[in-house]
Amino acid sequence: MNWFLFFWVVFKAILFSTGGFGPLPSLHTDFLANGWATETQFAEALSIGQITPGPNGLWVVSLCYLVAGIPGAVLSCIALLVPPLFVLFVQQCYNRIAHLPATQGLLDGVVLVIASFSIIVLMGMFQSSGLDALTVVIASVSAILAVTRRVSINLILLFAVVIGAVMG
Amino acid sequence: METEEKTACTGDIATIEMDSLAGLEREDLTILKLFLTWLKIGFTSFGGGAITQYLIQENFIYKHKWITAESYANIIGMCQITPGINIIAYTILIGKQLAGWPGILVSVLGLILPSAAITVGISAIYVSLSQFHRVQSALHTVFAAIFGISLATNWRNIRPILQNNRQQGLLVFSVSLVILIGSGLIYVFFNPSVIVLYLLGGLSGAFIYWYAARKKVN
Repeated sequence: MNWFLFFWVVFKAILFSTGGFGPLPSLHTDFLANGWATETQFAEALSIGQITPGPNGLWVVSLCYLVAGIPGAVLSCIALLVPPLFVLFVQQCYNRIAHLPATQGLLDGVVLVIASFSIIVLMGMFQSSGLDALTVVIASVSAILAVTRRVSINLILLFAVVIGAVMG
Repeated sequence: METEEKTACTGDIATIEMDSLAGLEREDLTILKLFLTWLKIGFTSFGGGAITQYLIQENFIYKHKWITAESYANIIGMCQITPGINIIAYTILIGKQLAGWPGILVSVLGLILPSAAITVGISAIYVSLSQFHRVQSALHTVFAAIFGISLATNWRNIRPILQNNRQQGLLVFSVSLVILIGSGLIYVFFNPSVIVLYLLGGLSGAFIYWYAARKKVN
């Protein structure tokens, strides 16, 4: 394994994308072209990234571990941490124009788009994972409990695991 | 809001958001407490980004009251035009706002060290367990719960915007709803790049806020 090339491929994919799944197309192309990963390893890493703690983007750490062990995981962590520091520059620009009503409008508009977009993407994943009465009930109850903040989020997930394991 | 951002830039823990959070029972902040809060999120946010976001809101806005919902909404907006994982960018901005550069360091390490270590650990055992039907079934129901929780998270992100815009009048509120629903419809029917959607939503929001402010002055 050429570790410098490995790091560059991961770093480049993250630098020129945004969001947890943003690096997927670039990584998919480069990892397959270099013979570093299989389609199955991508699917496994994406699934693991959905259940493990932390941002969804940690699926990249899972993928790099699956294909290159601990050194791969460590390099991917470094590659993940550097590009978001760019936000400090964005904030500097924001501070200069924060007093303008249009600036607040710009950010609020983006947040509204993200909310809409996120729900549609997750709904698509939810549907393709196989909808049935049980999962719809679990999703609805989880949403209500999360909004009302009556039950800890970890407890909700634990219940979901137990129900799935028992019914499976 | 302006005061909050200015104090945030100084990184002065003692004066953070004092004006904007006056009247709220805000818990005292130390660098250790900040680190431990992120560490707890890093260890317990099983379920990926939706759960991590929920726990960030839960801890920083509702439990400790270290940042406001409006300030958090601004952080989300700024992080969308930043490369890489958005939640790491949230962590950097929240850490800086609360405790300057040391705040960034403890926040990023607190979130990423445990979650990356657990990700590696689960990756190692997942492959050997994935062929069992019960494991697949548990993953299926967990994803349903994650979807439900992400609905709550997104609702909590847009609620302060919709509430503020309702007070601004019918026009601003209506445009907010059009951005929210319209961007979803455009994505479903035309499937454009996400950047195009951000631009459309952001510029529409900028225009209507500018127009409403101008109208108010006149």
